[in-house]
Amino acid sequence: MLSKTRSAGLVGMVVLVGTLFATAETRQELHFKVGKKPSISINNQYGPISVKAGAKREVVVTAVLQSNKVEVDQSHRGNRVDIISHLLTGADQDTGQVEYQVLVPADANVTLTSMTGPLHVEKLHGDVVMEGNTATVDVRDVSDGHVHVKTLSGPVTLTDIRDGHVEITSLGGDVVLTSVNGPLVEVNSSSGKIRYDGDFGAGGEYSLTSHTGDILATAPSYASIDVTARSVQGQVENDFQLQPKHTAFPIKAGSAFAGTVGKAASSVKLFSFSGKIHLKQR
Amino acid sequence: MTCEEFERVLPEIEGAHSAEQESHLHSCSVCSELVDDLNAIALQARLLRDSENEEPAPGIWNSIEIALRQEGLIRDLTSAPYLVPARPRPRRLAWLIPAGALLLLTFGLVQHERPRSELTPQVPIASTNPEPTDAANSDDQQLLEVVSARSPAMRASYAASLRDVNSYIRDAEQSVKTDPNDVQAQQYLMSAYEQKSMLYQIALDRPLQQQ
Amino acid sequence: MTDARKSQAKKLSESELIERAKQGDAEAFEALYHLHKRRVYSLCLRMTANTAAAEDLTQEAFLQLFRKIATFRGESAFSTWLHRMAVNVVLMQLRKKGLPVVPLEDTIDTEEEAPKKELGALDPSLAGSIDRLQLLRAVEDLPPGYRSIFVLHDVEGYEHNEIAEIVGCSVGNSKSQLHKARLKLRELLKTSRAEKARKP
Repeated sequence: MLSKTRSAGLVGMVVLVGTLFATAETRQELHFKVGKKPSISINNQYGPISVKAGAKREVVVTAVLQSNKVEVDQSHRGNRVDIISHLLTGADQDTGQVEYQVLVPADANVTLTSMTGPLHVEKLHGDVVMEGNTATVDVRDVSDGHVHVKTLSGPVTLTDIRDGHVEITSLGGDVVLTSVNGPLVEVNSSSGKIRYDGDFGAGGEYSLTSHTGDILATAPSYASIDVTARSVQGQVENDFQLQPKHTAFPIKAGSAFAGTVGKAASSVKLFSFSGKIHLKQR
Repeated sequence: MTCEEFERVLPEIEGAHSAEQESHLHSCSVCSELVDDLNAIALQARLLRDSENEEPAPGIWNSIEIALRQEGLIRDLTSAPYLVPARPRPRRLAWLIPAGALLLLTFGLVQHERPRSELTPQVPIASTNPEPTDAANSDDQQLLEVVSARSPAMRASYAASLRDVNSYIRDAEQSVKTDPNDVQAQQYLMSAYEQKSMLYQIALDRPLQQQ
Repeated sequence: MTDARKSQAKKLSESELIERAKQGDAEAFEALYHLHKRRVYSLCLRMTANTAAAEDLTQEAFLQLFRKIATFRGESAFSTWLHRMAVNVVLMQLRKKGLPVVPLEDTIDTEEEAPKKELGALDPSLAGSIDRLQLLRAVEDLPPGYRSIFVLHDVEGYEHNEIAEIVGCSVGNSKSQLHKARLKLRELLKTSRAEKARKP
C-alpha cells in the first residue's frame, strides 16, 4: 500500500501527464484529389485558415489541433471537399483552436468560415467567400473570381483583386482595398472605415457605403470616373476637378459632390450617413 | 471639292449634304457610289434590329431564376409576407435573414412617429432617439438568448452589434421617411437591413458542438 | 411557370409586371424575361459574334436588371433601361478580355484590317443587293472594336454622343470608327459577292 505522500505525488503526476495529453498539439495532413473548379469549404470556429494555390489537382489540408477537445470532420463528395472543426464538450477558444494551412488548385472556389480567424487567401482564380466574426480577413492576388466577405468586427484587407465581383459587408471592421478593380465592387460598412486606393479600373461599378464610418478613396489624376458622393450628416471633400453632371438630388456644398473625371468609364458612388468622405488625388 | 476633301468630311456628315458636297457627288461616280453603298449598309443594319428572332437557350431562364432565388429577390407571394412574427422561437429566426434583406420593399408601410426636427445637420451623433418596435426588440432578444446559450462570452459583443445596426436602420428609415423619392435613402435602408441580415446569419450559423 | 400562370402574366401590362417583380413575384420576373430576351440576346450576339458568350451575357444582363429593378422609377422606357444595361454588360466583358471596345485612332488598323476606300471601278454598287444574312456574316467578321460601334449605332440606333458616353470615347472618335466599320463592311460584302460570282 502506498504512503499518503507517495499517493499524492502519483496522483499529481497522473494529473500532469493527463493535462499534457489533453493540451498536446496534434497534426493531421489530408489529401483530396479533385477535378476542375472544385469547391472547398472550411468551417473553423477558432483559429486561422490560410489558403494558397498549389500546383497539383489536389487539395492538401494541414491541420494543427490544439487539444483533444476538437476534431476535424472531413467530407469528400465528387468535386467538393468540406472540412469542419468539430468542438467537443468543454472546448473553448483556446482548446478548441485548429490552425489550417490549405493548398488548393488555383481555379478552386473556396468558402471559409471562422469566428476568430484570421483568414487568408491568395493567388486564386475561383470564387472566394469568407465569413468571420472578429476574424481578420486578408485576400491577395485573386483574379476572375468573385470575392464575397462578411465580418462583424473583423477588419478586411483586399489587395490586387481583378475582374470579378467584390462584395464586402462589415458591421464594425475597417475595410481596406488596394488595387481592387472589377465590374462590381461594393462595400457596405456600418461603423468601420472604408479605404480605397486604386484607379477604379476602366468600366465598373464601385459603391462604398457606410453608416458612421469615414470613407477615404485615393485615385490617380488619370482615373476615369463618374463619381457621386454624399453624406447626410458628415462632411465631404474632393481633390479632383470634376465636370459637373446632373443628379437626382440637390448638391449641397460640403455634403455632396458629383461629376466626371476623364472619360468617366467607371461609376463610383461614395455614400455615408454621418461619416466623412474624402476623394483624394494621389 | 476634291475626292480627298470629300472623304475627309464624310465621317462627319449626318443627314443632308451641303451644296458643295452635293455638287461633288453629282460629278463623281466613285464618291457617289461609295455614299450609296454606305447608306445601303446603314439601312440594312437598321432592318436587322427589327428582324430579331434569335432566341437564347431555354436553360438561361432557369439559371436566372436560381440566382434570383438564392439572392432572395424572388419570394413566394402565396404565403402572407409577415415581417415580424408574434412569438418567434429561436430555431425559426433563420427566416429573418432573407426577410431582412427584403424589408426595403415595405419602407412605405413603416409607420414611425418621430418629429422631423431630430434630423438636423448640427447633430453629430447619428441617432439620438432609439425607439425600436416591440416586435423587432423581441426578435433581437431571442437572438441574444440563442447566442448566450451557445457562447455566453459573445453576448455583449452581439448586443453592441445589434445596437449599431438598429441605429443604422433607424437613421436610414428616417431618411426615407424624409424623402420617399430619394433613391439613395432607399439604398441606405437596403444596406442597413443587409447588415442586420448578416448579423443574424453569422449569429445563427455555427458548427456542430456537443452539449 | 404553369400555362395558366403564363396566360395570366401575359394579360398584365409591362408596368404591372415591373411592380410585381419589385415585390419578388417569380412569374413577373419570368414574363419580363420572355418579353425582352430576344432583343437582349440579339444585341449580345451581334456584339460578340459568339453564341456561348451571348448567352452568358444575356443571363448577366437580366440578373443585373432584376437586382436593380427596385430602383427603376419609370423615367425612361423599361426596354431602354434594359438595353443600356445589356450594352454595358457586353462592353465590360469585352474590356475584361482586353478586346478593344473602340479602336484608338490610327493605331489599330494594320494593312490587312484597314478598309479600302476604292474597290475597283468595275465593282457594282451594293445598293439594293445586300441581304440580311450576308450583312450578319460580314458583321461577325468585323474586328471587335468596329463591330461594337457599328452595332450600337447602325443596328441599335444609339446616337454618337450616347455611344461616346457608354464606351468612354469622344464623339469624333465614334463617328470616325463608324465610318471605318462601314467601309470595312463594304469591302467584306463586295469580296463575298465577287467570290460567289466566281463559283460555278
